[in-house]
Amino acid sequence: MINRIIDAIRPVAPAAWRIEERKEETAELFFVKKQLDTRRSKDVTYYTVTLFRKDDAGRIGSTAITLPPEIAWNDLKKKLADACYAASFAMNPGYAMPDPVQAAAEAKKTPLLEKPLAETAAVMSRALFEKDTHPSAFLNSAELFVERKKTRIVSSEGTDVSWTGGRVNGEFVAQCKEPEDVEIYQDFSYDDPAPEALSALVAETLSFAADRARAQKILKSGSYDLILTGANVGEILSFYTGRSSARMIYPGYSRWKKGEAVQEAQEGFESLSLSLKASEPFSEEGIPMKDRVLLDKGVLKTIHGSNRFCRYLGEEATGDYRTLRCDNSGSLPFEALKKAPCLWAVTFSDFQMDPMSGYLGGEMRLAYLIEEDGKVTPVTGGSVSALLLEKQGQLLFSKERYVSARYEGPYAVRIPAVSVAGE
Amino acid sequence: MFEHLDEIRPALKKLVAALRQDYAYASVLASDGDERSWSISRAGSAISAGGRDGDCGFVVRVFDGTGCGEYSFNRFSEAMIPEICRKLKENLTAAAETLPDGVAPLPTPIPADEPACLKKESEYRIHPRELGDEEILKRLNAVREKGLETAGILDVAVRMNYRSYRKIFISEHRDLDQSILWTTASMVAFGRRGEEVKDYYRSFSTLGGAELLERLESGVDDVTHVVLELLKSEPMVPGEYDCICDPETTGMIVHEAFGHGVEMDMFVKDRALARSCVGEYVASPLVTMHDGSAVDEVATFLFDDEGTLSGDTVIIDRGILKRGMCDALSAARLGVKPTGNGRRESFERKAYTRMTNTYFEGGTDTPEEMIASVKYGFLLENPSSGMEDPKNWGIQCMVNIAREIKDGKLTGRIFSPIVLTGYVPDLLKSVSMMGPDIQLGGGGYCGKGYKEWVKVSDGGPYMKARIRLG
Repeated sequence: MINRIIDAIRPVAPAAWRIEERKEETAELFFVKKQLDTRRSKDVTYYTVTLFRKDDAGRIGSTAITLPPEIAWNDLKKKLADACYAASFAMNPGYAMPDPVQAAAEAKKTPLLEKPLAETAAVMSRALFEKDTHPSAFLNSAELFVERKKTRIVSSEGTDVSWTGGRVNGEFVAQCKEPEDVEIYQDFSYDDPAPEALSALVAETLSFAADRARAQKILKSGSYDLILTGANVGEILSFYTGRSSARMIYPGYSRWKKGEAVQEAQEGFESLSLSLKASEPFSEEGIPMKDRVLLDKGVLKTIHGSNRFCRYLGEEATGDYRTLRCDNSGSLPFEALKKAPCLWAVTFSDFQMDPMSGYLGGEMRLAYLIEEDGKVTPVTGGSVSALLLEKQGQLLFSKERYVSARYEGPYAVRIPAVSVAGE
Repeated sequence: MFEHLDEIRPALKKLVAALRQDYAYASVLASDGDERSWSISRAGSAISAGGRDGDCGFVVRVFDGTGCGEYSFNRFSEAMIPEICRKLKENLTAAAETLPDGVAPLPTPIPADEPACLKKESEYRIHPRELGDEEILKRLNAVREKGLETAGILDVAVRMNYRSYRKIFISEHRDLDQSILWTTASMVAFGRRGEEVKDYYRSFSTLGGAELLERLESGVDDVTHVVLELLKSEPMVPGEYDCICDPETTGMIVHEAFGHGVEMDMFVKDRALARSCVGEYVASPLVTMHDGSAVDEVATFLFDDEGTLSGDTVIIDRGILKRGMCDALSAARLGVKPTGNGRRESFERKAYTRMTNTYFEGGTDTPEEMIASVKYGFLLENPSSGMEDPKNWGIQCMVNIAREIKDGKLTGRIFSPIVLTGYVPDLLKSVSMMGPDIQLGGGGYCGKGYKEWVKVSDGGPYMKARIRLG
């Protein structure tokens, strides 16, 4: 099919082109309590073609189209001609295409890539239910997706790279009926099958659900030292990936510059060291991906993003990253980090960090109020909000680590004096 | 459009017939789509013809001894029918044979397959393709340039996109065919306060075409004016206040706070408090809530992704919860009729119970009368996000703007950002005034949890209620 597309592109004569072929397979299982709701599988192939057009002034316009695998020849030619014509109306300042790369990346030797997807789905579904043994909480429902994706990128500049990747992801809901009937939602995503990690996550979430069932709506409005854990730490730190992206810097939404201190720690608190972790060998533009230092002790080291915006800024094009790693080793063990008084917000209905405004916030579904006298009370309800720009100099991290497909780093962070709207 | 589907229609019928030899039920949903978006901002201009909705493919559904099984694919011809049947059987068998100990099939009666046949297209005035890329980008750019004339504006990002799709559903007794075109547009103005960047957006939507541009063009002054106001906004003092919701905020409460709680696949899972409240007062008698295709908006269609015909479902009738909305599998499990709410993100994804166009009916009170009735409170505008909590009916919605009202008048002070919290029935029972005119908006997508994005619209009238703000 790629050769067919290339043949159809020739008469259109764009200044440059890129073709991405994606072949995706899945095995999917859906459960309601300990019953199988639905089995699904998927086998699809797509071709995304990006055509670039250049005008006499050196400006470049581009259009991307997605094509099905069995498109008729005449339809293919028409769609490509139409896309190339359209590109002439979306002209932007000129830029160089990504440097050519030829590589057939060696496929990772993992069970996910070597075994039938159904086998991995079986392993992970067993892991899902293995710890569904809590005395009062149980799995209400779960969804499991095992995915394998083969990608090939070919371009007019000579790039020809291919690789195979995969992922196991999904979600589950833990429920506890007494004394209050409550639930906690939890999603998961692993680049490699991780049955032990999934079982541990289920056990922890069931325990949180049991605590939420006895949580009280007693939280008073006020200012609290806030403890965030797990994926919520990654959400906070996504502020730094957002603000350092070429896509935000080029239009002036972010004023960050490489070499500048974008996070300055006050005495006794931690300077941030962050890395972008490559989870795929190439970006969707065919740019080789590698791990990169984003912040070193609060100083911005990398501006990252797609080819066009990085070229505009005179930066090396890095591709778009999915995983952020926090390299801080942490100041304190978690037990010491949550020294009283503080509020450990465990789960939210939806916790968000807005990289534009710098505001973080969400409504708590389970938090632990840890008081001066050591009393720990599960609480529910109330919302937190803070401007990270005002708090970022006073961050403390735990020594314990957390790993997921999107965030790796300290398990917990403590942020002082966060506003809470309580009962 | 999408004549390709006409060519393969006989083969699709043969596929269903072949599957029926092995399974008690078989259906296929075939979809083809065309999508295009245009955008302009300081980042440049862009045209894209591939996206979330631009899917072209097939999903078959069957019932075997274990229950429901599906297979999604995007290569099809009559010659491939044996291969598709073989792959489906292999995958279903492998999944059924490797279940963890103690996991059994969920008993599911086979959904009814009553005879139905229809073919229909939605209407539009100007197809975006006829208007053309050059003209559309020119008009979007004019909107942006006008916005940038306002001093203090960092940027104005303008966007329009449309989706035209055709879906064919074939089962033993059903042959359904629909073609729909919807268009949306939006503009976001940005302003800076130190390192803090504030934004304000407006979106527009229609079950139609590029005629929507006229509405976009009339809204730019409002967007730039409000973002400058936002730069002077203050943080909210948490508390419970008399609030007036604009139609967009009413829509967010309808959709996020209440609508997700009456999606009946949540009843099957015992995840929705609403299941125990059918027949009871859950809202003020001023509240009547609908979902369905009685209105023309972006989520209007003739049949859903399981082949159930759409209609108008009254969820709340003058404060009393009458019923939920339902997909076909959940309806079979609960022993009720499906309501045409079985929707997929695309042919690649599972069908869930999903909202369509969801809204409160209008009342008799004008917005001016509502403001005049408030001693101290806020006018809430411009919802930015919301999250459902069907199990506990907790509210988490965010709005961009709360305008202060004192002694029946707007003071000019504004607060931002605002988090709405509380218990859904408390909020709905506190509704004391409803405006006469309803407005629906379908600029965004709705997720089930954090995925499965489908196009929806929501709305209602101006509404007065008691709400906890933070």
